[in-house]
Amino acid sequence: MKSNSMRGPFITSMPLPDFPLWEKMKNKKSLISFDLELTARCNNNCRHCYINLPANDNKAQEKELPIYELQRVINQAVDLGALWCLITGGEPLLREDFFDIYLYLRKKGLLVSVFTNATLIAKEHIKFFRKYPPRALEVTVYGVTRETYERVTRKPGSFDAFMQGLEALLQGGIKVRLKAMALRSNVHELSQIAQFCRKRTKDYFRFDPFLHLRFDGNELRNEEIKSERLSAEEIVAIEQADFERSQALKNGCDKLINPEFVRYVGNHLFHCGTGTGSFAVSYDGLFRLCSSLWHRDCLYDLKKGTVTEALHDFIPKVRDMRSNRKEFLEKCRVCPIINLCIWCPAHAHLETGELDKPVEYFCPVARARAESLKDDFGSKEAPIPRKRVRLGRSGIGGG
Amino acid sequence: MGKISLNKIYKISEDVVAREVAGEFIIIPITSGIGDMEDEIFTLNGTGRAIWDKLDGNKNLREIAKALVSDFKGSPGEIEKDVAGLAGELLKRRILIEVK
Repeated sequence: MKSNSMRGPFITSMPLPDFPLWEKMKNKKSLISFDLELTARCNNNCRHCYINLPANDNKAQEKELPIYELQRVINQAVDLGALWCLITGGEPLLREDFFDIYLYLRKKGLLVSVFTNATLIAKEHIKFFRKYPPRALEVTVYGVTRETYERVTRKPGSFDAFMQGLEALLQGGIKVRLKAMALRSNVHELSQIAQFCRKRTKDYFRFDPFLHLRFDGNELRNEEIKSERLSAEEIVAIEQADFERSQALKNGCDKLINPEFVRYVGNHLFHCGTGTGSFAVSYDGLFRLCSSLWHRDCLYDLKKGTVTEALHDFIPKVRDMRSNRKEFLEKCRVCPIINLCIWCPAHAHLETGELDKPVEYFCPVARARAESLKDDFGSKEAPIPRKRVRLGRSGIGGG
Repeated sequence: MGKISLNKIYKISEDVVAREVAGEFIIIPITSGIGDMEDEIFTLNGTGRAIWDKLDGNKNLREIAKALVSDFKGSPGEIEKDVAGLAGELLKRRILIEVK
């Protein structure tokens, strides 16, 4: 039976960011993306890094998922509708089979972004990425002078390698996005770093002053990371000094500060979107709802199960986790400025070993950020919690 | 790029992947040089999808149009015009290639 007329336009094209499919996928709560950490190894040794192991760490290398295991995970994710994959690490270019993995992802119809430090970029990478363009290569700029860059990376020669790699990418016409971490070792150079990045990638620059603790819980490395953290006042100062970031915070402050949260009754742990639309896979095959969520009860071994099982059976169990810890229920759970805080069960676990404990460093940072926004909060009084939180033993972050 | 002809056979380029995601039929370029813009993505409507499914590298466009006459309203001439129109769009973007 002839039921339809042929009606055009039969084909529509548009730049990816404008594509309405993203909204549609979000509304349907479909799987959109996943992160593949190809390795924890890195050729740099950054002071603030939450994951890096030495490039020649044989034990870590042996644990890395081989390509056929990765292909199994990728196939399952694609069958579930994933459209985007972030390749990250460690430094993913250390994988000898990087090109094969990347190409496999592309040929499965995935858009691919890559996080790299750019120090290993060679002519063959430029040729390859020109032929098979990534959605973007995201490169972190640790400093714009050799002294600062290598103070962060602790790798002599890394600054020259980074500059050569970055220039080769830009001259090769590869889409690069530049970003920075703001830490004690480079904060004096942050405005120059921002200038450097914006000059080279006009449409994109972001910096992050929130340093996460180690995924492997390494205590020595955690102390190093804490010593690199900026104080609440410093974080607010650099956010205010950056026009784009301060405008974004001002524009979003009605969502970032929510007095209604104090009326919330309930004891669910997770109130973010974790596990909806995305997931992360560690280099050794552990499925997590988000990259920072490493609590043993929130890990699913993909070497023993499938992505489908993880999504359909495991995630609902994790998202249903609850807590009756008084501190959690009376503090973080109902905090009106929680959206200005990096507190979440995942970060709480990295900081305290528990999913539901407040983190002393986070409170003053969130409060200082809220204070800086109170003039933009309209006629309502910004409901900033006044109770002082005693700073931790290290005094880190308290200013 | 040659001119579209109803008597020619075309096939989908190996440089693109077509997928159905969230109910949308999308075409994702794998290599550079597909389309006109950086970061471009394509979607086909239901009719475009019906034509796409028949672009198997074996039938010419006239045969494809003939196979669609039973499914769509419109004269054979109109359907041939639509099939050729979409094929032309795809050829222009290098999503479709002529089978020699």
